[in-house]
Amino acid sequence: MPIYAPSLPPRPALDEGLPPALVIARFDIRRVLKQRVGRFFGFMFVGSLLVQLATLYIRHLLKTQAAFGGVRDFANQVFTQGPEFHAGILTMGGWLTTLLWFQVALVGGGLVARDSLYRIRPLMYAHPVRPLDYLLGKGLFAAGLPFVILLPFVVLPWGMSMLIAGNNGPISPWAPLYLLPSALIISLLMGAVTLGASSLASSPRAGFGWVLGISLGTSALGGLLMGLLHESAWMAISPQALVRAWPALLCRVSEPPLDWIPTLIGTAFHLVLWTYLAARRTRPSEAVL
Amino acid sequence: MTATVSLERASLRYGDILGLSPTTFELPAGGGITGLLGPNGAGKSTLIQLLSGLLPPSGGDVKVFGEAPFRNPAVLARIGLVPEGDRFPVGLRGHAWLRMMGELSGLTGARLDQAMASALAAVGMEVNGKKLFSEMSKGMRQRMRLSQALLHDPDLLILDEPFNGMDPESRLQLMDLLRQQAASGRRILVSSHILGEVAQLTDRILLLFRGRLLAEGSVAEIRELLDRHPVELRIGAESAQAVARWAVEHDELVALRMEEAGAVLAVRNPRSFLPKLQAAVLSGELPLRSLDPIDLNLDAVFQFLTKDHA
Repeated sequence: MPIYAPSLPPRPALDEGLPPALVIARFDIRRVLKQRVGRFFGFMFVGSLLVQLATLYIRHLLKTQAAFGGVRDFANQVFTQGPEFHAGILTMGGWLTTLLWFQVALVGGGLVARDSLYRIRPLMYAHPVRPLDYLLGKGLFAAGLPFVILLPFVVLPWGMSMLIAGNNGPISPWAPLYLLPSALIISLLMGAVTLGASSLASSPRAGFGWVLGISLGTSALGGLLMGLLHESAWMAISPQALVRAWPALLCRVSEPPLDWIPTLIGTAFHLVLWTYLAARRTRPSEAVL
Repeated sequence: MTATVSLERASLRYGDILGLSPTTFELPAGGGITGLLGPNGAGKSTLIQLLSGLLPPSGGDVKVFGEAPFRNPAVLARIGLVPEGDRFPVGLRGHAWLRMMGELSGLTGARLDQAMASALAAVGMEVNGKKLFSEMSKGMRQRMRLSQALLHDPDLLILDEPFNGMDPESRLQLMDLLRQQAASGRRILVSSHILGEVAQLTDRILLLFRGRLLAEGSVAEIRELLDRHPVELRIGAESAQAVARWAVEHDELVALRMEEAGAVLAVRNPRSFLPKLQAAVLSGELPLRSLDPIDLNLDAVFQFLTKDHA
């Protein structure tokens, strides 16, 4: 095999090229797109979205077609309209958020853990990459993934409702104003938990376990404390409960699963804790050559 | 002219453990190869972490191109690091990984493509660079590591144990490549725990042991230092007495121990003693059956030097 001196292009200036955080996030996106797990969840989410759109269209038919009068009365009893319906768009009765937790655990559990396992971080830090760039890149992916998945669940049903019935459709014209911030907070929460859990793990599989462990473990603990102390606010220690609470609060559901104060405190706690842990675990001093 | 690397009583602690004692040395500006020699645990990787900006020194100063390298993009952009061992996630193709590393250095578009093609060609991986890492041999993966370090045209190339696991042919090719790189004006720092490897590559060596810089100089100077270390040779012979009689006539002999099937000789300056031994065997003067160097390894030499310098 011949070896000869390379004629490399000149070294780029410091401000040239893409920001390192974007390079890292894009690399992870490409990796996930090639994984079968990404395709499986893609199929599941698209299926769920189609079911939601179909449900919405049937509701519209029930409301507008006189022939469906009897069915409509029954449907009105089963499906409540208003804030509950709007909040349910993002949770689908818990199905969507549960599926999303599995998705972020499977995909995001390895985000930092993979780099720890294969000792890639020191090599990255030996480039002009700051720990903050690394954390931002991973965080962008961890929070961006659930947000990108949730986005069509907000935009498409709303668009369809506006198209078929305008302002009188089953979804309020103002619904995105409540649902998009909810989706953003849910995504940030899931991203932070994923990032922190993955940074604690030593392999992607362990990362998956950590994310699910935190998600399910805190729910169990919250349920236990709530039962013992007869105070529902304890459920705010569970990211799962917080994810369900935000759409309900922002859509002004009459009886949200959690009140504003525990939800705000719980969310801030989880965001700070897991981001802090991830920042500590991805410091250059933790990156052993 | 600013030295490429300069350490002024730089030290590093991991909690209570001293990873590197206060160390002072300089690598001059311009191209050339410097060997970083020391047994496992000597502090080579610690020193490399300081130089490549992964860790700040606990004390003293570390300067690369006249600036502190820790979290300093201006310095890091001029360093190419080839760490020891694999650094690739499974299921990934070589060129995908190389592309990301290039982008992290600020390369984009046509320049990135050109840099990737040149770096892959430089290490002879134009064809195999598109393979999955899991399909590459150890030597190929080592070349990929080197190609990522060359991508951004660094002025300082740091290689941590680059010859580990390489076959002799790949080793020679890598040495050729490093010599070419040095000739083109790059300063290269190569760490190894095998003196022979480094000696083939460079005439300038930094000798580390237990976290401190033990010696610094040319290979000849280090060899001279090492020659003072008594080496133990177990000589198997039909008559141990004959070996002893022959050995005591030589100045290099430091100690002699008789065994059932021969004798153990402790000799200084093995480079002058061994040709004499060879001549004696060839002339039939010494009835030798076997020759076994007992402690002719770097650890033993380092221990000797440490005692000598205590």
